Amino acid sequence: MITYELCLLLRVMPKPELTTTLKRAAEAIFEKGGIIRKLENLGTRDMPYKTSVHGAVHKKASYFLYEFNAPPSSLETLLDAYSRDVDIIRRQIYKKKAIEPFECTLNDEILPPAYRKDVQELISEARKLEKPKFSYNSGLDYYPFQK
Amino acid sequence: MLTLLRKITPKPSLVSRVVTLQYSNDAPNFDMENPFEKEKKSCILCKNNIIPDYKNVKLISQFQSPYTGRIYGKHITGLCSTQQKLVEAEIVKAQTAGLMATYLKEPCYLGDPKLFNVDKPFRPHRF
Ligand SMILES: [Zn+2]
Repeated sequence: MITYELCLLLRVMPKPELTTTLKRAAEAIFEKGGIIRKLENLGTRDMPYKTSVHGAVHKKASYFLYEFNAPPSSLETLLDAYSRDVDIIRRQIYKKKAIEPFECTLNDEILPPAYRKDVQELISEARKLEKPKFSYNSGLDYYPFQK
Repeated sequence: MLTLLRKITPKPSLVSRVVTLQYSNDAPNFDMENPFEKEKKSCILCKNNIIPDYKNVKLISQFQSPYTGRIYGKHITGLCSTQQKLVEAEIVKAQTAGLMATYLKEPCYLGDPKLFNVDKPFRPHRF
């Protein structure tokens, strides 16, 4: 089961209207057979860039975050439903990421180039392309190829 | 006095001798690790055990240029390649979600502490 994050930018409006919009957005998820894990208010603030939707230019928005589970096939219709909602300025669905623990490789990356593993691999790759060369100490006392 | 001493000191024998050196049992153990090896360096995010997230705009906007809004390369930020990739992906995610500016750094984040010096990159610029 994949957990998704839905970032909603809502038009600035009074509280009762805001709750109905949030409920509408939530019910759209429930209709698709999904469940909501979390609803977070990220605050109302100036948007980094102005957006014009539904015939109006918005410079401020209320940010909300839903965490939900829903069938992956329903995401497209969900976003389409939100795009027709007049109160929603912007919507985006991301997968909730789970990153496996990793080691910091900075120490190997700041070594001089000759000691770096990726550089050594590059050199060995380039060596493979080199044409075979005649070695003069092979016992032949003449050069066997055209000069 | 000097002449007297010279007479006393015996002459070393001209026959070469094979000398076998033997360390005593209390000699120091030289199998230890290199005591002069430098401390292993790690990037600022790994050191503090931070994984960048697109909702944490204050953090990821520190890796953005205030003049052009572009993401600084890892030769400037000093991050390991894994963290740099994560930071770049999260910045793009935040920008498409409408959380973060694209062509500039938002004025409210301009006073944040500098994590690196742009004029003194960890590795030279390619231009
Ligand atoms: Zn790292």
